[in-house]
Amino acid sequence: MISTLGIVVIALYFSVLIGIGIYGARVSLKTREDYFLAGRGLGSIAVFMALFASNITAFTIIGHAGFSYEVGYGAYGYVIGWSIFITPFTFYLVGYRSWLLGKRYGYATQPQVFGGIFNSKLVALLFLVLLLYYTLPYLVVSIIGGSLAFTTITDGLVPYWLSSLIIISISLIYTIPAGLRGTVWTDIFQGTLFLGVAMLLLAAVAQALGGFSIITERIIEANPAMLQRGLSEKIAPINWFSFSFINSIAVIVFPQMFTRILAARQSSNLKRVSLYYPLAMAGIFAVSTLLGVWGSVAVPGLSGIDSDNIVPLLIHQFLSPVWMILGLVVILAVVKSSIDSQLLSFTHLVTDDLLPLLKRVSSNQAVFWGRILLVVFAVAAYYIALVRPAAILSIAAFAFSGFSVMLPVMIGALYWPRANKHGACAALIFPAVMLHLWYLGILPEWTTFGFMPVFPAFILAIATLVIVSYLTAPPSAEQREKTFDIFNRVFKYEDKETGENKQLKNG
Amino acid sequence: MTFKVRLALVALIVLFMFILHNSFWLWSLDDRVPLLFGFMPFAFSFYVGYAVLAVIAMKVIITLAWPEPPADLFQPAGDKRPAEK
Repeated sequence: MISTLGIVVIALYFSVLIGIGIYGARVSLKTREDYFLAGRGLGSIAVFMALFASNITAFTIIGHAGFSYEVGYGAYGYVIGWSIFITPFTFYLVGYRSWLLGKRYGYATQPQVFGGIFNSKLVALLFLVLLLYYTLPYLVVSIIGGSLAFTTITDGLVPYWLSSLIIISISLIYTIPAGLRGTVWTDIFQGTLFLGVAMLLLAAVAQALGGFSIITERIIEANPAMLQRGLSEKIAPINWFSFSFINSIAVIVFPQMFTRILAARQSSNLKRVSLYYPLAMAGIFAVSTLLGVWGSVAVPGLSGIDSDNIVPLLIHQFLSPVWMILGLVVILAVVKSSIDSQLLSFTHLVTDDLLPLLKRVSSNQAVFWGRILLVVFAVAAYYIALVRPAAILSIAAFAFSGFSVMLPVMIGALYWPRANKHGACAALIFPAVMLHLWYLGILPEWTTFGFMPVFPAFILAIATLVIVSYLTAPPSAEQREKTFDIFNRVFKYEDKETGENKQLKNG
Repeated sequence: MTFKVRLALVALIVLFMFILHNSFWLWSLDDRVPLLFGFMPFAFSFYVGYAVLAVIAMKVIITLAWPEPPADLFQPAGDKRPAEK
């Protein structure tokens, strides 16, 4: 049973979240931009914690530890290695240019940015449909994963249906009144909490197992294969290479991440975030990797889905009940910080990009509708998480890949003036269709040439964008100027200054 | 240095980091390199070093090719008021 101390800790945690919600509602203005983008006024720490906490899910602590339990130390590089660099790089590659356009033209979502660049309602609609299509299963899977972890760590005391209800309800308490500002403030609180507790948890488990060196020696004696990446089929080089095209490059395409980039106050905020991000991601995944690998000798014999329970089992078997409470709070923090941002961005897309197709919506009305839709989508997500329909779960299996193959169109739009709306539409539709054919087993496996389907689909997206754009009429000069004149001013600005400086230096 | 040259250097940095991440020929060192700090095998410590390198790479990219926008860029067209500092 949870002790009195546990109830006090959890009550304190919930009180802080509710307090943030109430305060956030008092300072927020009732405008669309304030509710969904925090008035484009987020500073470096706010953007960083919002991106970091939104991107940490139950998988980071639970699933990745389970994967490391089976695969060994190689799981670290496989899952997070390329992300450590390429994810912050995409904040520059895609994020900065999108932020510039957002500031200049008031764009707030991907359909607005890319529909605006191509001057095409169809491109905007395709972005909207695909993002909603992939975000919903991703949201539901986050709720399912978090609720299962919550139930496991409470030893079944809180049943699955109640875990889901608690997680969703608490997320709504601060998201409904305070919008993005509420989720970002709670991200700062929850991100700091789970980063701090995770580090302490690692040290406590290490001490309980005899120390960092002793447990590593035990692994070398009992299971030396855990040290060698070449011995695990799951992370064979062809999978390792293919995986580079899934989670790492998908991050900037997630609507909840993209929106937070647009909400940055200044360019310098994004620069700082790009420098903080690698170390934070490397740090949190290092903890779950080590816990998983250590668990393989401390609690041997788990396999399949049971290995995902390794962190709760380590806490259960080797630490005092106080750690169970802290573990519970960490799980809640991790799960909710991603679910609230997914729910809000889902609602944002519908309110900003779908609703205006049906009726005129003023800025104040958008906030009203946003709040109503948050509740509607939360109830729908709760229902789906309870029923767990196979169709939704099968889409979730390749939702990350779906996000990834949208990236070539985003890059093409921001860097290649010759890219046009026909190329963009074809490059959004064709790879998405191919992904379905591969993942649903309609096309034979050999057609991916041994790679994971995301890699050939990514190449197809690039090829389709280029070929179709060249085969059709180029965008008008006026349309190109609307986007690329801004980039020319920003990116040649320094060259001009350098030239002037040179002139000054040369007298 | 023109911006195109800077962008080419950025592309080289990305290529270098990608090759480093996919350097399968280094996997043979997994059981040969001594543990770092007594508990980090090469498969793990490699990515601790990679994270530090990623920060350095991002810092170089920011210096090379991430200029600040001009102060008047976000003023609406036709707005002749002085830009906010």
